[in-house]
Amino acid sequence: MKLQVTQENLNRALGSVAKVANSRNTLPILANVLMKTSNNRLSLSATNLDIGITHYIGSKVSEEGSITVPARLMQDFVGSLPEGVINLELQDTKLKVTTDQYKSVVNGIVADDFPVMPAISSGKSWKVSGATLKKGLQQVVFAASNDETRPVLTGVLLTTQDGVLSMAATDSYRLAEKKLGENKEDVNLLIPATALQDLLRIIGDSDDMVTITHDDQQVLFQVGDIELVTRLVDGKYPDYRKLIPSSFATQATLKRSDFINVTKVSSLFARESAGSVTIELDEATGKLSIRSVASQLGENTATAEANIKGTGSITLNSRYLLDGLNAVGGEEVTFGFNGKLEATLLHDSASKDYSHIIMPLKS
Amino acid sequence: MQTDSLWQAVLGEIELSVSRGNFVTWFKNTCLLKQEGSQVTIGVQNIFIKQQLERKYNDLFSETLAKNGITDAEITYKVTASIPTPSPRNDEPVLITRDVPEVANAPRSTNIPTSSTATNSLSHSYRQGLNERYTFDNFVVGGSNELAFAACQAISHSPGTKYNPLFLYGGVGIGKTHLMQAVGNKILQQNPGAKVVYISMEQFTQEFVEALRFRKANDFATHYRSADVFIVDDIQFIAGKEKVQEEFFHTFNVLHQASKQIIISSDKPPKEIPTLEDRLKSRFAWGMSIDMQNPDFETRCAIVQTKAGSHEVTLPHDVVEYLANNSGTNVRELEGALNQLLAFCEMRGLEPNLSIASGLLSVSKTRPKHLSAKQIIERTARHFQIPMEDILGPKRDKDIVVPRQVAMYMLRSELHLSFPKIARELGRKDHTTAIHSVEKIEKESQFDASLRLAINEIKERLYA
Repeated sequence: MKLQVTQENLNRALGSVAKVANSRNTLPILANVLMKTSNNRLSLSATNLDIGITHYIGSKVSEEGSITVPARLMQDFVGSLPEGVINLELQDTKLKVTTDQYKSVVNGIVADDFPVMPAISSGKSWKVSGATLKKGLQQVVFAASNDETRPVLTGVLLTTQDGVLSMAATDSYRLAEKKLGENKEDVNLLIPATALQDLLRIIGDSDDMVTITHDDQQVLFQVGDIELVTRLVDGKYPDYRKLIPSSFATQATLKRSDFINVTKVSSLFARESAGSVTIELDEATGKLSIRSVASQLGENTATAEANIKGTGSITLNSRYLLDGLNAVGGEEVTFGFNGKLEATLLHDSASKDYSHIIMPLKS
Repeated sequence: MQTDSLWQAVLGEIELSVSRGNFVTWFKNTCLLKQEGSQVTIGVQNIFIKQQLERKYNDLFSETLAKNGITDAEITYKVTASIPTPSPRNDEPVLITRDVPEVANAPRSTNIPTSSTATNSLSHSYRQGLNERYTFDNFVVGGSNELAFAACQAISHSPGTKYNPLFLYGGVGIGKTHLMQAVGNKILQQNPGAKVVYISMEQFTQEFVEALRFRKANDFATHYRSADVFIVDDIQFIAGKEKVQEEFFHTFNVLHQASKQIIISSDKPPKEIPTLEDRLKSRFAWGMSIDMQNPDFETRCAIVQTKAGSHEVTLPHDVVEYLANNSGTNVRELEGALNQLLAFCEMRGLEPNLSIASGLLSVSKTRPKHLSAKQIIERTARHFQIPMEDILGPKRDKDIVVPRQVAMYMLRSELHLSFPKIARELGRKDHTTAIHSVEKIEKESQFDASLRLAINEIKERLYA
């Protein structure tokens, strides 16, 4: 293998894939990144056996070949090289990396032992705008559970209903749903949240369309020159749609920034009780007040002006409330609930695309 | 064969032939989904593993399956759910409310389990047969047993990984039991929850017979098959007991496949245990077999000193040497002589010295007086299963010459006869024949384990 690449390209590709390579794995080769030439392109791949990422970059190949090298070392090393052309040359299992100023030899492991990236040959393929997907992922993925005892909830559901594509995740204490828009293809995919976090990183600021290809067991995302493949979560996702309340006995509409501020202040006094704060809505005064008590520190009540219908109070985890408020976006938000023990809903007052449900705490 | 045990056997073999990282990553979580004739379906966790197994390890699977009785297997791989999850219950609520967490500084009502008592009682039930007196610290290491000692120490640090099974063999009273018990004690000390089972073959047989009689063969099997460390003393008593051998064979296989440590002792190497089934012989020789020798003079001195030290007595040097030289070859006799001396001195309020020791031991040391040259020659002849006349006769076939030489060696070493006398006893004219024979056997017994074993056995019979 002998080729020339630019430092910028190689560094970018290593940045996309290296994070997946895991040195804690029992199999040493999984801490490596596979470098392989094909048709005047260099592909870099890494996998942790759940997710595989491949990044193709342009290069001037004078001799074909492949090798795996330690991902962290390679990333740190290439990252500290100056911009310009890098020469790569393979001798046995040693990769010689040379620039005008630097000469190094990286010991590799033969590529033959590296797992093959799964190919999806017979699957459906469709496209979605990268920017839309990214926005949706940012608003939804964090709500997924990381509790492996209920594997279904560690996934994010991507489904179409009545021609509208939506994305949902829940950890059973909160639930986030985003409607991404019209989609011709009928899909029902349960994708591991961890893989989507990597996808989010890969999409970055790209405005490209993302091509999604899937079969029964895995799904492939193509963003520009990068491919991410992951398994699908096995199991049936609960029918979350019926859990989203549609009408409320008590409801407040207020500026999102005001709501965030009072919640933040109140949460300072809620640390002892693991973040629990009580929200009171008073229709007569038009005030939303949020109260927290700490037996050691003292207590706090913060109020904000709001447009309120109905009077009532509810106790929530302030961290979940802040997560929801940050994710919901928009100038004004609407917050509604029914009984003390029933689901609360948070959404952008101007749009119904995003719904965020938080379950109350029993006090 | 049941699919479970078939798969266990296959994985057990593969584990030995690939690196640990490869095994854990690619093979460990596979399962056998279906096997009908030569059609084999293997369940794997994900597509990466499926592809890797198809691409690189298909041949390994077919070979290993062939060894386990499924030839020309047609293997297909199928991705199954990562964790065999209980199918999601529909009654499980999707969204749930939690209680407000208790204030941190409120008195905690959570009951921290008083685990100390629990683990204690647990470890006790698995201390089966172990005597805490035997530890590595009070084992005297010398040239004759350092290999065995090192192997046992290695095992106690990482049971089941090295030297499995470990097979110790050697004559009586040279520390086999001590070492094996020390391994068990050490492992228990490091990991009080480990199930260490020490049992003599005699006891194993008895329990097995009981279990059969009371129809509890299952309990018996599960008990021994759940051990983490399985120590069997005096395995030679298994000879000739077919059913016990079968039960032991299965126990051995289950434990070995689960990488549980097995330690076995015997008075002979596996190959020389009569009427032991071949499959057991080969299994015993699988890990490491170590020949433990009678302690040499220096080690015997060290043993006397250590044992005296444990009685809080310091013996003069000449007494130590006298005991080491004159009280038999094995450690038990040595200890007996020492105990005799110490008891004698304690009763009469004397300090142990050389004259007391020599006086005492010459009283008890009656061995050579009982023996005649004829007895030794006869015993030797009987051991090699040749008529005594042949040894004394003129024949020079190899299978007679060696016993004759051994007999000469025994006469020299046990009765300290002169070479001309030895020659005469065996009907030879020339005393140089005797010199040559004794020297030859002395030399060869250092290298030839079976010769050494024969000599030890004849000696043991002589003094029995």
